[in-house]
Amino acid sequence: MSDLLIARARAALFEVIDPELGINIVDLGLVYDVQVNDDHATIKMTLTTPGCPLHDSIKNGVKSRLMLIDGINHVTVNLVWEPAWTPANMSSRALEKLS
Amino acid sequence: MIKMIPGGSLNSSTNIKIPLSFIILGLTAFVGAQIILLFNYGELSISQFRTPAVWSGAHVLLLGFAVMVAMGAMYQLVPVAFLTPIWNETFAVIQLVITAIGFGVFSVLLFVNPGSAVYGGACAVIGILFFVFQMFKTLLVKQDKNTMFFFVIGALVALFAAIIGGFMLALHLAGASAGNHQPILFSHIALGAAGWFTLLIFGFSYKLVPMFSLSHGYSESRSKPALLFYGTGLIILIGSFWTSISVINMIGWGLLFTGFLLFALDIREILAKRLRKRLDKPFAFSLFAIPVGLTLHGLALVLSLFHVTNAAVWSWLVFLYVMGWVVLSILGYLYKIVPFLWWTHKYANMIGKEKVPTLKDMINEKRCVYVLSSFIIAVLGITISALAGSGMFVLLFQTVLVVTALIYALSVIKIFFV
Repeated sequence: MSDLLIARARAALFEVIDPELGINIVDLGLVYDVQVNDDHATIKMTLTTPGCPLHDSIKNGVKSRLMLIDGINHVTVNLVWEPAWTPANMSSRALEKLS
Repeated sequence: MIKMIPGGSLNSSTNIKIPLSFIILGLTAFVGAQIILLFNYGELSISQFRTPAVWSGAHVLLLGFAVMVAMGAMYQLVPVAFLTPIWNETFAVIQLVITAIGFGVFSVLLFVNPGSAVYGGACAVIGILFFVFQMFKTLLVKQDKNTMFFFVIGALVALFAAIIGGFMLALHLAGASAGNHQPILFSHIALGAAGWFTLLIFGFSYKLVPMFSLSHGYSESRSKPALLFYGTGLIILIGSFWTSISVINMIGWGLLFTGFLLFALDIREILAKRLRKRLDKPFAFSLFAIPVGLTLHGLALVLSLFHVTNAAVWSWLVFLYVMGWVVLSILGYLYKIVPFLWWTHKYANMIGKEKVPTLKDMINEKRCVYVLSSFIIAVLGITISALAGSGMFVLLFQTVLVVTALIYALSVIKIFFV
């Protein structure tokens, strides 16, 4: 059940879009880890830069989207700055869109 | 080693009504300033900037538009860029009201009764002092002080000094004896245009340019020397106004040019290492303002080297600097800042729940290009026409500028209906 919820959570995060870049946070390489224990999802993620004005919006977006999944009733988003985000985190899709 | 934000939320963003109020008042003043200058185009045609009408138009533009928008932008950007909330939002509202009244009354009195302008000036000084106090209270709690911090602090110090100089000039108009008029006037212009606006744009560019271009792996190695050269240059230039020693004037302009050049080279490096190849058009206009500012600094240096003291030439150089560097930067960035503000207000809570527009969807990029291009053409047209002595063409291009300002203001307001 937990593995299924993790897979659903990962898939759902593709729908959380960075409104400045128009690219989802998974393809941007912002999501480091997704864990689900019972009905509690814990996301470890970063942003492209500390002090990003979209800090709260993206974080709340992650929470909102995951709360829509049946079986997830609590969401914790841990923003981390190490390891720092690098362009190498991005998918080929994201790179293609930027270029 | 993992660094986390305790609890995950900073809650540092400012109540949207505060920055938006500053920005909307600023847009109104932008249009108003152009209308004032349109009705007094004759003075521009003969390069006569030191008249009540032009003083009024210039101060509606610089205080009413540029300073108000800069304040609004700082209320929005300082908390997110420095990760620290505004010290006191109620105080910000009080500051907004006092500043708006002060700027408005001061600008009107400059036009109708310059001798009484000092009363509006006093109110404007109080408003700016409140703003400077608010920002110092906000910023000084920050432990790690980066380059941007020092640029912003430098800008605030320059703003404070500029407004004190401006108040002394208003005292002169009231007939009081308050120091030597000409050096105070030149210092006031240098501190306002170069000190406050330029240092502020430098500081925020170091944050905004990498963010909007998604740049990575750049060094910012020239940022501290840029601040040092520009700040020192400003002090030396002001010293030359008081001593009238031309070699000090040349050194001042040389240091200012060097500081600006170092900043421009850093921005060039940031852009060279960007991942986002196609930049948003309004942002590209703000970037275009950088070589404009650098060129004008270079021209100022050349003029000082050749001992050019012609008041008309320097007046038009200041006009181009204000319009081509300061105002163009602000106009471009506003097309980024306002959509962000409104998007955060209207759509931030919908992200992840339903499809929301991107920030780019909130503006018509093509229209932005037309409007900002029209602004550049009008500014160049006014300058060339005036230097060529053609009043008719000054009137034509100033009319274009009024229409452009109006369309610009409406295009920004239209964002609130997306």
